[in-house]
Amino acid sequence: MPMVDIDLIIGGPQGGGIDSAAQIVIRAFSIGGYEAYGIREYYSNIKGRHSYFHVRVKETAVRSLRYPVDLLVCLDSESPFVHMEDVTVKSTILYDEDLVNTKLEQVLTMEPETKKHVMDKLRAGGYETTIAGAVKYMKDKGAVPYPVSFRNLVVAALGPNKPPARYANTLGASLAMALVGLPAEFTMRGIESVFGKKKEVVEDNEMIVKAGYEFVKTHNHTMVKELPLRPAKDRYILTGNEAIGIGKVIGGLKLQTYYPITPAADESFFLEGHDYFETSAGEEMDKENDVLKHTGVVVVQAEDEIAAIAMAISGAMTGTRTSTGTSGPGFSLMAEALGYAGNNEIPVVVTLYQRGGPSTGLPTRNSQADLMFAINAGHGEFIKIVYSSGDVPEAIEDAVRVFNYAEKFQVPVVHILDKNLANSFFLVDEIDYSKIKIERWKVPQNTENFERFKFTDDGISPMGFFGKNIMWITGDEHSELGHITEDPETRDAMMTKRMKKAQTILREIPEKEQVELIGEPNADITLLSWGSNKGVITSVFEQLKAEGVKANLVYVKLMSPFPSDLVSKYLSKAKLIIDLESNYTAQLATLVKQNCGIDIENFILKYNGRHTTDDEVYEGIKRIIEKRDSRVVMVRGA
Amino acid sequence: MAHNFRTDLWVDWCPGCGDFGILAALQQTMIELNKKPEDFAIFSGIGCSAKTPHYINAPGMHTLHGRVIPFATGIKLANPNLTVIADGGDGDLLSIGAGHFVAAGRRNVDMTIIIHNNGVYGLTKGQASPTMPRGEKTKGLQRPNIMDSLNPVALALSVGYTFVARAFSFDVKNTKDIIMKAVKHRGTSIIDLLQPCPTYNDVNTKEWYEKRVYYLDKDPSWDPVVKEATSEAVEQKFIQAIQKSLEWGDRIPLGVIYQNDLVPSFDARIAEHIKNYLEVPPSESPIVNAEGQPIARMEKIFIDRLIRR
Repeated sequence: MPMVDIDLIIGGPQGGGIDSAAQIVIRAFSIGGYEAYGIREYYSNIKGRHSYFHVRVKETAVRSLRYPVDLLVCLDSESPFVHMEDVTVKSTILYDEDLVNTKLEQVLTMEPETKKHVMDKLRAGGYETTIAGAVKYMKDKGAVPYPVSFRNLVVAALGPNKPPARYANTLGASLAMALVGLPAEFTMRGIESVFGKKKEVVEDNEMIVKAGYEFVKTHNHTMVKELPLRPAKDRYILTGNEAIGIGKVIGGLKLQTYYPITPAADESFFLEGHDYFETSAGEEMDKENDVLKHTGVVVVQAEDEIAAIAMAISGAMTGTRTSTGTSGPGFSLMAEALGYAGNNEIPVVVTLYQRGGPSTGLPTRNSQADLMFAINAGHGEFIKIVYSSGDVPEAIEDAVRVFNYAEKFQVPVVHILDKNLANSFFLVDEIDYSKIKIERWKVPQNTENFERFKFTDDGISPMGFFGKNIMWITGDEHSELGHITEDPETRDAMMTKRMKKAQTILREIPEKEQVELIGEPNADITLLSWGSNKGVITSVFEQLKAEGVKANLVYVKLMSPFPSDLVSKYLSKAKLIIDLESNYTAQLATLVKQNCGIDIENFILKYNGRHTTDDEVYEGIKRIIEKRDSRVVMVRGA
Repeated sequence: MAHNFRTDLWVDWCPGCGDFGILAALQQTMIELNKKPEDFAIFSGIGCSAKTPHYINAPGMHTLHGRVIPFATGIKLANPNLTVIADGGDGDLLSIGAGHFVAAGRRNVDMTIIIHNNGVYGLTKGQASPTMPRGEKTKGLQRPNIMDSLNPVALALSVGYTFVARAFSFDVKNTKDIIMKAVKHRGTSIIDLLQPCPTYNDVNTKEWYEKRVYYLDKDPSWDPVVKEATSEAVEQKFIQAIQKSLEWGDRIPLGVIYQNDLVPSFDARIAEHIKNYLEVPPSESPIVNAEGQPIARMEKIFIDRLIRR
C-alpha cells in the first residue's frame, strides 16, 4: 500500500527565493529516497507579486499534482488569501503570525480583481477581511492553522543582524519538512545540494533548519510522524527547459539561437551555462586528436526571433545541428522563415513553449492553444513536422529524436511543449544511452552540377552542405539545382516531391513514436490528449481503476503530418471518448475530426493558465460519465 | 580552366542596371582570392540585387526580405572557415532589415555586407527606399518622396561596424578593390555600393554620380585605419569618418572611410570560452560514435543537476 502522498504549496513573493525553497524540498526528498514532482506558478514580474510552488511527494513515481493540499506554507501576506480554497479537512496552514492583522486592502501585490473575489467570499461568510479572517475561513473548512513568528525564529537562530525576509524561504521549507516528518539531516543535505559552495549561506541556513525543526518539535502537531527512510539513488533534478537543453546537447546540438522570451529563454540560458564540455569520444582519442576531446554549443542571443530562426536555418545548411527556442509571440515572427526552411527542405528544430495567448496573453502561464498555429505557421503549402512531448524523460529523448527526424526527412521540426512542462521539476535517472540513436541524413555526394533538390520517389533528395557542395537555395520555387524557376511542370514536380514527404514520414517513424495508447486495451472510457496533461491523466487512471473503471489514453505525439490511420484505429475501438486539453477550442479534437472524420463529443478543457490537477480531471470525467455533461471547464489554481 | 564563378543563367536585370558592375566586381574578387568555390557562401535578401547568388558559381543562398544579415551570420557561426559575402538592397538592409543591420555592427562577425544602394525598390516598381532624399521625385513615384533619407555610412559607423567603405558600381575595378579589402578585413565590413537604377530612378543616374564621385585614396594624406586600440585613436578616425559620411551632393567620396582591425571579431569572442571553436567549428564537430550513439553524456556535462543520494 502506498502510504506517503503529500501535496504542498509554498507561496511567497516573486524574487523571495521560492525557487530555492522548491529545489530544497525536492532535493531533500530525493535524498530521503522519495519521488517528487512540482510546478512553479508565477506572475510576469521580477519582484513582489505572488508566486508559488506546488509539489507532491510519494514513494512511487509522481507526475501530477492535486488539490486540496496537505500543507500550505504562506511566506507572504497574499498566500493565505489566494490559496483559501486550496485546503481542506486536516490540511495544515503554516503562516507568519506577525502578519495576522494585515488587511486584504493592505496587500498591495494583489490584483484588484483577485482582491474583490477574496473580499466577496470572506464577507459572504461573515469573516474579517484580514489574514486572521482568511485563516479562520480555512479553519472552518477543517484545516489546522500553524502560526509561526518568522521574525522571532530567524532572530533566535541568526541574531538580529540578518534580515528575516531573506531566510523566509528556507525557514518555510524547513518548517514544512519538519511538519511532514522528513528527518532534518535530509533537509540539511537538500540545502547543501542547492547552495553548494556558498559556505556562509549554507551555514546560516543550517541554523535555520535547526530552528525550524526545533520549533516543530516543541509545538506539537498532529501531522508529525517521522517518514520512513527509503533506499535512495542518484537522481537528476530537471525542469522541462533543462530536459530539452540536455536532449539537444546529447543529440548533437552545436548552434542554438534565441531571443529572450518566457518560458523559453531558460533553456538557452541553461545551455549558455553548459556550452563547453568534454565528450565521451575523448577516451578513445590519441594525443593528436586531443582537440576533439572537447566540444561546445554556440549559444547566440539574436536581435529578434526572425534573426534567431534565420541563423539556425543557415547554420543547419553546413551540416550542423541547429535549433532555436521560443514562445508564441516569437514563434509568430518566425512563420515566414519556417516556410523558407520548408521550401528548401532544411533540417532546423524550433522548440515552441506554449504560454497563454493571444498576443502577450498570460506570459507566464500555461496553454496548449498554439497547436493549430504551429501546424499551419508559414504561408503556402509545405511539410513540417510538429512533434509534442509531455514530460521530462520524454522531452530528453524527443529532443534527440526531432533532430533525427529533421535530418532524415529534411524538414523543419516544431517541437511543441507547454509552460507546465517547461517549469515543472522532475526527478530522473541517468539516460540509458543504448536507447538513444543519432540518425543523420543520406550521405552527401560531391558531384559537378550537384542536384540538391533532385526528384526522388520518397521526396528526399541527396543532402548537400555549404562548405562542401556547390548548390543554391532560394525561397522562390526552384529547379533541382536550386535556381529560381517558374516553369509550371517543374513547379508541379517540385511540389509533389516536397509534399510526398508526408507519407514518407508517416511510413518511416515508428508507430509508438507517433501515438501511444496508454492504459487498458479494452477500456470503458478513452481520453484523447497531448503534452503535459499526460501525467495527470494517467495518475487519475489509477484512481478510476480502484473504482473498477477501465480507462485508456490516446496520447498523440506526432501532430503534423497527422497519423490519421493510427489515431482512427485507436479511437474507433473506444466506447466513450473524452478530449482533454489546455485550450478553449479543443484543437486536438478538431485535428482528429479534420483528419480522421471522428466527431468527439466530450471535452474537459482548461484555459485559465494554471496547471491541471488530478481532482479536476477526476471530477471532469465523473461529470461526463455520470451527469452527461459534454463540456467541462477546469478552473482550479490561484 | 580556372573557375570563373559564372553560372550559365541569363542575367535578368534591366539593361544598364548597376547590379551588373557589382556582380562583375564580386566575381573578379572571388577569382583573385584563389579559393575553391566551396569556400564561399554568397547570400542575398529579396529584390533585384537578391538574384546575385544565382549568377555566381559558388554556394549561394537567396533568403528572405530583410534577413540576409542573420542568414549570413548563421552560416559563419556554424562554419567560420567560410568566406561569407552578403548582398542586400537598400530597402532590404536599411528598412525591413534595419534591426539586423544595427545588431550586425555590434557583433562584428567576419563577413562582408554590400548595400546595393539605388534609392528605390525596383522589383515592385520604384517605391522610395530609405536612401532616397525627401522631396525627390523619381519617375516611379506618384508624388515627391515624403520621408527623409538615412545615411547608411553614418549609421554603420555609429553602430560599430569595423570596416565602412563606399564604391560606385560603374567603376568595376575600384569596386573590386574595395570588396577585396572588405573581404580581407577580419570583422564585419559594410560597403555602401552606389548603383543607378536606370528604370525607376531617373534622378541619381550613372551620369549624376559620375559628375560627383571622387576617390578618397587619391589624397595621400587620407588614412581611415585605426592604428592603436586607444579611445583617442579610435575617436579621431571615427570623427574623421563621420565627417566624410556627411559629404553628399556636389561631391561624393568613394573608398574606405573607416577601418578598425583591432576590435575582436565575433568568432574570436566565441573562441574565448569555446576554446577549440576555430579548430573544430560546429560544422566539423563530431556528435556520434561508431555505434550511432551520442558522445555528449549527461554525467560529464550536467553534474550540477545531479542529486547524490
